[in-house]
Amino acid sequence: MILTGLLLGALLGFVLQRGRFCVTGAFRDVFLTRNTLWLTAFLVVIAIQAIGLAVLTATGVIAPKVTPLPLLGVVVGGLIFGYAIVMAGGCATGTYYRSGEGLVGSWLALIGYAGTAAAMKYGVLKPLNDGLRGLTVPATTIHGTLGIAAWPLLVTLVVGVALAVRHHLRKPRTVLATLPPRRTGLAHLLLERRWHPFATAVVIGVIAIAAWPLSTWAGRNGGLGITTPSANLVSYLGTAQPRYLDWGVMLVLGLLVGSFVAAKSSGEFRVRVPDATIAVRSTMGGVLMGVGASLAGGCTIGNAMVETAQFTWQGWISFAAFLVGTGAATRVYIAGHRRAGTGADSGIPAPVADADGTPQRRAVLTKI
Amino acid sequence: MATYTLDTAGEVCPFPLVEAKHAMAELSSGDELVIDFDCTQATEAIPAWAATEGYPVSHFDRTGDASWTITVRKP
Repeated sequence: MILTGLLLGALLGFVLQRGRFCVTGAFRDVFLTRNTLWLTAFLVVIAIQAIGLAVLTATGVIAPKVTPLPLLGVVVGGLIFGYAIVMAGGCATGTYYRSGEGLVGSWLALIGYAGTAAAMKYGVLKPLNDGLRGLTVPATTIHGTLGIAAWPLLVTLVVGVALAVRHHLRKPRTVLATLPPRRTGLAHLLLERRWHPFATAVVIGVIAIAAWPLSTWAGRNGGLGITTPSANLVSYLGTAQPRYLDWGVMLVLGLLVGSFVAAKSSGEFRVRVPDATIAVRSTMGGVLMGVGASLAGGCTIGNAMVETAQFTWQGWISFAAFLVGTGAATRVYIAGHRRAGTGADSGIPAPVADADGTPQRRAVLTKI
Repeated sequence: MATYTLDTAGEVCPFPLVEAKHAMAELSSGDELVIDFDCTQATEAIPAWAATEGYPVSHFDRTGDASWTITVRKP
């Protein structure tokens, strides 16, 4: 039964790669360009999944569990994770699908992330993780605290997201430049054509719903999740104990398979080695991602996409903390980014370092 | 009417777009900017930026596996 995890993971990896569904980019755009198109697409996933979860729970197909809120862990971990995904150049799923595209920087981030997630959940950092996550407050879900049913929250979310979608779809239509087509029919649609962010979001929402019963039937009560499965993968590799090899491990392995197939078949796979600066930054980002996601109880998928659909405090508070962390890192690493020589006029002095003091490579803008 | 090339190969997203914005600010009206890049996300982000800013795209193609070139004109 855990093989359904591999299949669903492969499907998700394919969709993430072809749809360019980058949660880090979605969060970053809010600060860098004040554009909320991709954030809205992310919210579409939450809303669709929330509807599916409500139906599956009401009909008794699944019985999601909620636990008391480890407030300090969620806030601190959320800030760390939000900051780290900018360093790593992708959140957990983003790092998986870019690994499948051949980005060596993402391989480094992935090893760091899975390694510290295992250390936090099962290894030498477990006392730190358990200590901080042991400090709970007596609250689980938002509707539980308010003493109301879940459906008013569901309706509010769905209506709010629908309004945001309408806002974006009503903007004057701009025609995006596209690559010259080399294929036709289904191959063109699947392997070449640009997927609208909202279309991709609907597909991911359906995958996220399907994850719940498939995972439950394989003995794992949960939906999409990346951090614990990554920690389990490392632990399985290190101990060979079969208890670690569950549906979630198959899911994350599937992400690599699916994104590789998508990238390879669309001519977008190539092993790309980053420069020293990006290599160090990706590794550090990955290491911090594993720590942050463990403290927060999940990454941008497990928390910001799945827990939010259950209306837990952990989901929505970590979502906010991720955004704040991403905003801070965007200021440090991206907003002030200049490479020497990228200005056309050589008389204009260009800074030679990022805000964190990292020296920048020589460049590149040449008149021909 | 000059043409400039901005080689961002090896730069991860969003840096190709960030650098393209800086470069574009330095160009004169009618100049063209050829941006070479190899991060997949930019196949979405750079055309979206050009469309939003109203910059005509005169050329957009693959130059090999996971590498692309796009030419944007400053109106």
